Amino acid sequence: MRRQVPLALCFIFGLVMMLAEFSPHPVSQGIRKEIIDWSLIIWPFALVLAVASLVHTHWIRIRRRAEYWQYSYLVFIGMIVMVVIGIPFGKRHPAFVWMFENVQVPMDATMFSLLAFIIASAAYRAFRARTFEASLLLAAALIVMIGNVPVGDFIWNKLIPFGDDLPSTARQWILDNPNLSSRRGIILGISLGVISQSIRIILGIERSYLGGGD
Amino acid sequence: MELFGVWVAAFLTLCIYSFLYRDNPFYRFAEHLFLGVSVGYGIVLSIHDGLIPFAWNPFWKAVTEREPAGLLKLIPIAIGLMFFARLVPKHAWIIRYPFAILIGVGSGLAIPNVMDASIFRQLHGTLVPFAQIYAGKLGPFEIFGAILMFIGVIATLTYFFFSVEHRGVVGGISKVGIVFLMVGFGSAFGNTVMGRVSLLIQRVDFLVNDWIGNTIQSLPF
Repeated sequence: MRRQVPLALCFIFGLVMMLAEFSPHPVSQGIRKEIIDWSLIIWPFALVLAVASLVHTHWIRIRRRAEYWQYSYLVFIGMIVMVVIGIPFGKRHPAFVWMFENVQVPMDATMFSLLAFIIASAAYRAFRARTFEASLLLAAALIVMIGNVPVGDFIWNKLIPFGDDLPSTARQWILDNPNLSSRRGIILGISLGVISQSIRIILGIERSYLGGGD
Repeated sequence: MELFGVWVAAFLTLCIYSFLYRDNPFYRFAEHLFLGVSVGYGIVLSIHDGLIPFAWNPFWKAVTEREPAGLLKLIPIAIGLMFFARLVPKHAWIIRYPFAILIGVGSGLAIPNVMDASIFRQLHGTLVPFAQIYAGKLGPFEIFGAILMFIGVIATLTYFFFSVEHRGVVGGISKVGIVFLMVGFGSAFGNTVMGRVSLLIQRVDFLVNDWIGNTIQSLPF
């Protein structure tokens, strides 16, 4: 009951979804669409767990007066403000849009732009051309970066008398040929892994998602 | 109100950039606020884009317009409510039911879709140029690219093929695979850096033009 029924449910839903993909009949397509709708309804409930975990973590931090516990109130404030405005009034309410455009988007963009500095310092340590492979990595990254900005072509055309716009052409060639071929190899490997893992899950061989206990 | 929003955004932007000096109260303030706002935004989106259109609207229509099909939505709602069992340790095992359904659906969808999008189409893209070579439609440079692509795909796959020892011919091919992988990782790194630098330029542009520029323009003198 505790393990067999979930395994059976996983098998039935997995098999139905897989077979429905190959059958264009309206009935099977209707079933497929209904099950996808069910998934879209069930997923938001999973968010409850994530939010409960976050709230629990910060609540414990406040109760135990852990280091920087005062900041945990900010997590609650930010979350409550968005939820109190967004759920009853909708995501197009001016106050919700204001919070999104002036609080969330700027911080999101800034957090990611901060990575420009971190990635640069990481590159300084990692990109030492000590081996042939490291040199290749360095050369490919440099060509892609220089070819990405118009000033790369501008400087090349001013200084070198041959090969107009060579940096951007070289960048495009790298992206379209050696880069794409390695990506294809990786994608093919991952895809074969995903398919074999999915088959294992549907057949009940892979059961780690059930967790421990009986 | 618009300028106030710009000031708020500028203050939060500077708070986050203060981390470049070192970890400090301003950064921690912005970091925690960002976490809370993002989670709140995610909750609102999942309710307005998930629960309301797919569960509440059909259910309400079923009740008001007597359309029994909409009552079917009570089943996934009941399944979704099983997630709350996690909060009661004695009944936490019930959470396996919704998880099993979601994982089953995901796995069932993944097999045909991944096979089509990530295997057949990728192989198609790798092999079709050879048909064009046979038809005499490609120039020497494109032929070189097609052959390089084929060698790269095979060599990369060989590098990740651990069922045989990487010695002899297999070892040689896998070394070629490393060459392609390094170029691929270098390109990915270069693109990532450029993406982040673009964001940095955009934020600096915001601070200089939208914040300082608009503030100066709004001054009465």
